[in-house]
Amino acid sequence: MTQVEPDRAAGATPPVPVSIDALSEPFTPGAPSNAPELADYPELLAGPVPPPVQDPKTAAFVEQWRNTSYNCFSSGHKFCREVCPVTQVERNESWTPTAFHANVVAMERGELEIADIAADYVNCTQCGACELRCPNTLFTGDFYRFRTRTVDVVKAVRSLAVESGVHQPNWQSWNERTDLRTHEPVLGDTPVNQDKVRDWAEGLDIPIGGETVLFVDCEAAFYRTSVPRAVAQMLQMGGYEFGLMEDQWCCGGPAAEMGYAEQAQRFARHNLDNWRKTGTKRLLVLDPHDYISFTEDYPKYFGEEFDIEVVLVIEVLAQLLRAGKLTPSVPVDRAITYHDPCRLNKRKGIWAEPRELLRAIPGLHFSDVDRVTQWSYCSGGGGGLPIEKPELTAKISAMRLERAAELDVDTLVSACPWSERPLSEAGDAEDIDVVDLHELFAQSLGITVGGSRGEVGDRRLAQERTGVPGRARRERGSSRGGCGGGGGGCGGGCGNGSGGCGCGGH
Amino acid sequence: MTITEPIGTAPFTTEPLSDDRLDALVRALRPVLADDQILLAKTDRYNRARVPAPFPVHRWSERVPDVVVMPTSTEQVAAVVKIANEMRIPVVPRDGGTGLTDGAVPHRRGIVVDVKKMNQIFELDLLNRTVTVGTGISMMKLNERLAKHGLFYPDDPASYPCSLVGGRIGTSGWSLIGSRYGHTRDLVLSFDHVLPTGDVLHVGDGIGRKISKSSSGYQLKHLFMGHQGTLGIATKATLKLFPKPEAELSPFWAFDNYEDAHACTGALARAGVATFAGAVLFDEHKVAYLRRDDEAYIPQPADVRALVCSVMYGYEDEVRAGGKRLFRIAKEHGARYLGDEISEGDWAARHDRYATPLHGRTKDGQVIPMSWHCEDAAVNFTSVPAVSRAWHEILADLRRKSDVFDDWGMFAYTSANTGVDYLTEIDVGIWEQRLDDKAWAAWVDAKRAIGAVALAHGGSMSACHGSCREGEVDLVPQELGRGFDVMLDVKRSLDPNNIMNPGKYLLDRAYGRDTTDENR
Repeated sequence: MTQVEPDRAAGATPPVPVSIDALSEPFTPGAPSNAPELADYPELLAGPVPPPVQDPKTAAFVEQWRNTSYNCFSSGHKFCREVCPVTQVERNESWTPTAFHANVVAMERGELEIADIAADYVNCTQCGACELRCPNTLFTGDFYRFRTRTVDVVKAVRSLAVESGVHQPNWQSWNERTDLRTHEPVLGDTPVNQDKVRDWAEGLDIPIGGETVLFVDCEAAFYRTSVPRAVAQMLQMGGYEFGLMEDQWCCGGPAAEMGYAEQAQRFARHNLDNWRKTGTKRLLVLDPHDYISFTEDYPKYFGEEFDIEVVLVIEVLAQLLRAGKLTPSVPVDRAITYHDPCRLNKRKGIWAEPRELLRAIPGLHFSDVDRVTQWSYCSGGGGGLPIEKPELTAKISAMRLERAAELDVDTLVSACPWSERPLSEAGDAEDIDVVDLHELFAQSLGITVGGSRGEVGDRRLAQERTGVPGRARRERGSSRGGCGGGGGGCGGGCGNGSGGCGCGGH
Repeated sequence: MTITEPIGTAPFTTEPLSDDRLDALVRALRPVLADDQILLAKTDRYNRARVPAPFPVHRWSERVPDVVVMPTSTEQVAAVVKIANEMRIPVVPRDGGTGLTDGAVPHRRGIVVDVKKMNQIFELDLLNRTVTVGTGISMMKLNERLAKHGLFYPDDPASYPCSLVGGRIGTSGWSLIGSRYGHTRDLVLSFDHVLPTGDVLHVGDGIGRKISKSSSGYQLKHLFMGHQGTLGIATKATLKLFPKPEAELSPFWAFDNYEDAHACTGALARAGVATFAGAVLFDEHKVAYLRRDDEAYIPQPADVRALVCSVMYGYEDEVRAGGKRLFRIAKEHGARYLGDEISEGDWAARHDRYATPLHGRTKDGQVIPMSWHCEDAAVNFTSVPAVSRAWHEILADLRRKSDVFDDWGMFAYTSANTGVDYLTEIDVGIWEQRLDDKAWAAWVDAKRAIGAVALAHGGSMSACHGSCREGEVDLVPQELGRGFDVMLDVKRSLDPNNIMNPGKYLLDRAYGRDTTDENR
């Protein structure tokens, strides 16, 4: 028997002949102490850089985004995939954040052109989950605030498409109608216009203009009017002075998201000029999408010229709560979970204040789901997706409600008007109400909000008032949650397309 | 045009299907699949032409498939494969597409069968502790669903958040915590598998779906794992589940020399601590690389030349007791404990995040955007130092010729609970944008040399990735000996027309033609 002893084994390996030069040992390239010979090795293998792309627009685009995209292409980890709302429901590798970067590298090589790729880029809600889950962000984000820029690449590709005359039909007509009306056509055939943009505020006696202006996005101003009504009345109750914009146009954010960059900037110019006219120095924003426009797009358009302070209403409410100026005291008998709006949680890191407000509401049963788990949640309502592909938005909303339905809740609370229309529709199928955080907080402050919660929301509210049984009126903690529950498993056929086990709570 | 010969008996071609054949194929697929399951757009095909391993970007277009299909059931996969077999059109299975040996890359165009839509959870059996899933599900998403039952599926590769169960089967994956829980082959109990002719086989231990050990008949399960898509497509798998561990302990220790760190790693693995899930050895090149280019690395004093980390999982009381023993062993080997904060943080960085920096450097220090690549082997504990030295020398030689390559150092990971063998891997930065045929050829030569070193030390060319890429694949017959002839016999017998992933693993030789060099 041959016995290999530990000490002999280590010596048993024959030494490898090593050529002794500066490369034979670990070294730090560029260190002053390095051997000078390191600079003397000739380059014998490197291939040529790719020749420039012919089309000047594409060439400029590639020049700007090549390195950003290459940082993704070169790592290739694809951790973004399973948090991406579109990928989760469609499972299509060409509609993934990685593909959106890889295509740019292929364009640099002349393998793909804008007409080949434009339609793929519809499949993104610009929620930002991919950027957070990207190892490149995770690794360096804490220290250097570095963030992989997938949302910006998607916006840039959409802009290049529009500039190159490659349009998506619904986006094109949506933006044409927005341009005509100065507001997004959120009511379909019912016209929206300047005369009606302040209708939601009827009876609230809010001045026009002033140092602080409340900006109300198109969806909230025309469709879910209960949100701005709740906000305005709470601010009034807390003694916070504000006015409404004198001549408010759409913020331009949706146009920017869909690639209509010139239109977006034109709208932004109008709004900034109007704030100047009324001496406005501070913008109150209730909608997370507007918050992105004003904190990211406007500074990009105007640089130093944009000196308007932008304040999120949720943060104001949290301050008023802490200062004792708003104290919710009316119990709200609901079992809720909170939907972190993507543009607050994933894009802006705002997740604490909404929870602070919800925890201050008496009577509320709050099943919280942490913000990191919610990186993979989305309503599907962003980035123009519901305009071009409403069926995809519906799938994403349904997936979000599926997660909510696994909890012991009757209500999903969001804080983003654009999410609430698709979520309400999906919620109706699960018998779960979708309520806005501002609406709920106002209710607990004893405010009669008024306005509309949208078609589904109003119907469900009316049913609740007339005593139609719903999840909210059911006894809680009965058959909800848990799959299999210690028995022999959930049996065949309980699967579903989104990968959930799907046996809990239906 | 009707083709009756097996693929690969004709000269190698990267030509796309002719319009006529493509039309005929799509016509044949229509009755089987819905329109949105048949993808023909350029981006659909380009984005299924590559995996994370660097590839010659300048030859991207040669790897683009003709058609992509996204089936949702075993029956649909079987029907597609049957059509392909009749029409003699190559089929390349694609799951996560995160492998490092090009298994999911079409070398001969044809049909990519993308199984990502097959991500159902069919059955969760809490009493027998199994779950049956579609192979398109990722381990991370599965574990999200299992968490509420206090269970988890511990197949834990670097690509954990994005690789899929089916790809793990097709590559016979390696798990970072395999020393405690086993690797993919131990964790997958059985699966449905579509053979190259379109027949469906259920394979496991015996015929049972949930049997972990059977002595009935040939042990076929291993044959249908790790074939890199050359023997068919796994569609539905039954997996072993474990209690989600209550405690994790991941100490990091510093050493002032590599030899002590290596000796310590071996002693930790040989200790036989039941909660021991793995140990990782960072060599001097790795520490130097982290120090220079890893933004998340918390710099240690200059006399730190090597690092070892170990990880334990289990109930808190058993992890605590086992941890004490490992700490004692580390101390005896001259280790300095880096403290709880760095240990937890660095394990999170290496394990949960698994990132590498975005860049490497030229020899004189210029920062360059580089892609990450990793070459692996399985070698015995005693051979790890010699293999490491030889591999670094191969990289040094590349760097003597070019700044396209950078040496990012090596890890060695325990593969098993006794410390018998290690996954050794060398991370290589590659300036992919400057690869052309000449630089690519130099890289392929280096890969072959890296594989040869592992074989010379009695190891295997791959513990983890597979060995069917250019370079190392040339040595597969040498590594397997007579076993390679058996591979050819099996391939010919199961895939008479060579439609499953042709061009991989030199298997064209089964059909009387060696096309190995035709695509170079």
